[in-house]
Amino acid sequence: MAIAVAEKRRDSLGSAKVREALVGYAFVILPIAFFFLFFIFPMVYAIYISRYDWGVLGPIDSVGFQNYRDLYHDELFRRALRNILVYTAFVVPAQMALGLLAAVIVNQKIHGRPFFRAAFYFPSLASSAAIVAIFIYLLNADGLVNSILGTNITFFADSDTALPSIMALNVWTTSGTMMLFYLAALQSIPPDVYEAAAIDGSSPWRTFWKITFPLLKPGHFFVLVVSIIGCLKVFDQMYIVSGGTGGPNYSTLTVVLYMYQTAISDLQWGYAATIGVALFAVIFVFTLVQRLLFGRPEIS
Amino acid sequence: MGSKEGVGNMKNRARRIVLFGAVVASLLVAAVTAAVSQGKTNAQAAPAAQEVSGSIRLAGWTSGGSTEGVLLKQVLAGFAKKYPKIKVTYTALDPYQQNMLAQFAARKPPDVFYVDSNDFPDWAKQGLLEPLGPYIAKYKFSTKPYFPRLLNAFRYKAKLYGFPKGFSPLSMQVNTAMLSRAGVSAPTTWAQLRAVAQRMKAQNIPAGGRPICLQPEWARMLAFIYQNGGSMLNATKTRATVNTPAVRDAVNFYVGLINDGLAGTQQQLGAGWCGEALGKEKAAIIFEGNWVMPFMAEQFPSVNYRVNRMIRNKQAATLSFTVSYSIAKASKNKAAAWTLLTYLTGRQGMATWTSKGLELPSRKDVKLRVPGRTAFIADAAVGRAWQFAPGFSKVMTVANNELTAVIEGKQTVNGMLAKVQEAANEALR
Repeated sequence: MAIAVAEKRRDSLGSAKVREALVGYAFVILPIAFFFLFFIFPMVYAIYISRYDWGVLGPIDSVGFQNYRDLYHDELFRRALRNILVYTAFVVPAQMALGLLAAVIVNQKIHGRPFFRAAFYFPSLASSAAIVAIFIYLLNADGLVNSILGTNITFFADSDTALPSIMALNVWTTSGTMMLFYLAALQSIPPDVYEAAAIDGSSPWRTFWKITFPLLKPGHFFVLVVSIIGCLKVFDQMYIVSGGTGGPNYSTLTVVLYMYQTAISDLQWGYAATIGVALFAVIFVFTLVQRLLFGRPEIS
Repeated sequence: MGSKEGVGNMKNRARRIVLFGAVVASLLVAAVTAAVSQGKTNAQAAPAAQEVSGSIRLAGWTSGGSTEGVLLKQVLAGFAKKYPKIKVTYTALDPYQQNMLAQFAARKPPDVFYVDSNDFPDWAKQGLLEPLGPYIAKYKFSTKPYFPRLLNAFRYKAKLYGFPKGFSPLSMQVNTAMLSRAGVSAPTTWAQLRAVAQRMKAQNIPAGGRPICLQPEWARMLAFIYQNGGSMLNATKTRATVNTPAVRDAVNFYVGLINDGLAGTQQQLGAGWCGEALGKEKAAIIFEGNWVMPFMAEQFPSVNYRVNRMIRNKQAATLSFTVSYSIAKASKNKAAAWTLLTYLTGRQGMATWTSKGLELPSRKDVKLRVPGRTAFIADAAVGRAWQFAPGFSKVMTVANNELTAVIEGKQTVNGMLAKVQEAANEALR
């Protein structure tokens, strides 16, 4: 009798577990299906397409790895790759530093904290196209910036200044998002650590570098990954500034812009897919290296 | 049984009436068209009204709210009146290329749509467009009224795939007040252009600007190359002819005007394009198309300017920008599409479409009644379509980037021409 009861309880316990799992799967099945349909499937399909001479109406000819060989010798692709690497090298540290600074500031007990939080985050909400349009006016040869500086620099039309100008405007727009990530990480640091530091008489500067900064490690990793991926696939700002050409003198040609030109203007969809696969490989390698350096990404 | 028979009888009677009506109607239409075509050309050789029916889709980039959109609505209203059995739905697509390509790929393109002459070779090569030859033969449609150079822009491998809906060549616009203040008359040749610009620059006219505005792109510079007897491709479009003395001299002239401070790029003049530089009075001489006129009337009505014929050197030549109406190969109702196509690019449709001079008529039998366009019309005869061969958009990316490098002094003219030549031959292969 007793055994039977115990048996029964275990049974019901097992089935409850199964039911719970089923409910869980039922909740995620739709998002997962979407994810597979719109992310995983296109990615795999792109790899398939990249081995064809593929036109608007479908495959024209199977070309094996010829697209990859062409890409390896493609000067425009190399230039685009160099551009996004330079862009990433400057923008990622800048927006991380700015994001962290803003996060630390708005994490203090200062007056008007909600205002500063909103103000720092606000640029991230505006559409990139609108911001670029405003910057085109600001950086015009007879625009605001030039009249303040008393110069006549054609920022977006000079190959020395075009990319740095876009870097500056993107650091400004995206640092708000980085601030938000850092803010979440900052608030997950237990306050007793700071209390202990205060009792030991640590200076705020020392506290920041010895406690806050190291404890932000998972935050750093997350922000770094997000920031690098965002930088490597930058497109819209360059597209608008150069009118789709990637000029002047190839200085704003990015990999995604080149992929866009190849697909939309040249109608070489197979080759465009190859560019996409190559960009995927670059981003994948970057993320892998970061993971080896920083460990698993975690953010609470 | 009885009731069924009754229905059958009624059906038969109805059919007979419809048939009779159709015969009468077709006779009427035939008589009318015969009468019309007796006096005039057979411009409207579309299939008889009652033969075709159904719903078709029309697509372009003309937005509904614009002045052009209102004109297009008028044209379509005229079509609906003439062909009440064909229902046309117009969609404005933005961005146009992407949207069209997505619809082509989904095998559900609009039946009739715009094709830019620059996109045309790629679209025709990929088999997206319906060849019009069989329809021209079947319906005895005359293509004679179209300017041959514009019509040929929509020929790929000897087959015709569209009729031009209008066009605009590049001509020369001059600020008349500035020219007379400088005591010079409008130039007509390269030598005069340079001399005029030098005299204006010496007198600091226009103040804070440059005498000429030149856009750093091949879609403007190529006109100068043509004037110098140069070209991008040989006549059969099999070989690039970029790296030649005629092209080199033209590029040197064009870039030289900028480097000597006689001309400025639109960016140097703080403008989005040279039309804006003319409006802001930062430049006195520009080389733009018909689109500059509605722009100036709207944005800078107080600036006095005149449209003159394009500058010339060894020969008179310019670039023409044109767009066709074409039919999708995947269209399900090609008879209706053809009817619409021939109405839109026919005499009546084009007369309405070009009535405000926003685009110039591509048919000789449509007269433009809008003033100030005589120079454009005169330049049309020497205009060559902005068009190359499939795969040339990449060549243009290289060409335009190299040109900006040349203007910055980071590339030599010879270096640029070698690169463009190489890219062009790569595309032709």
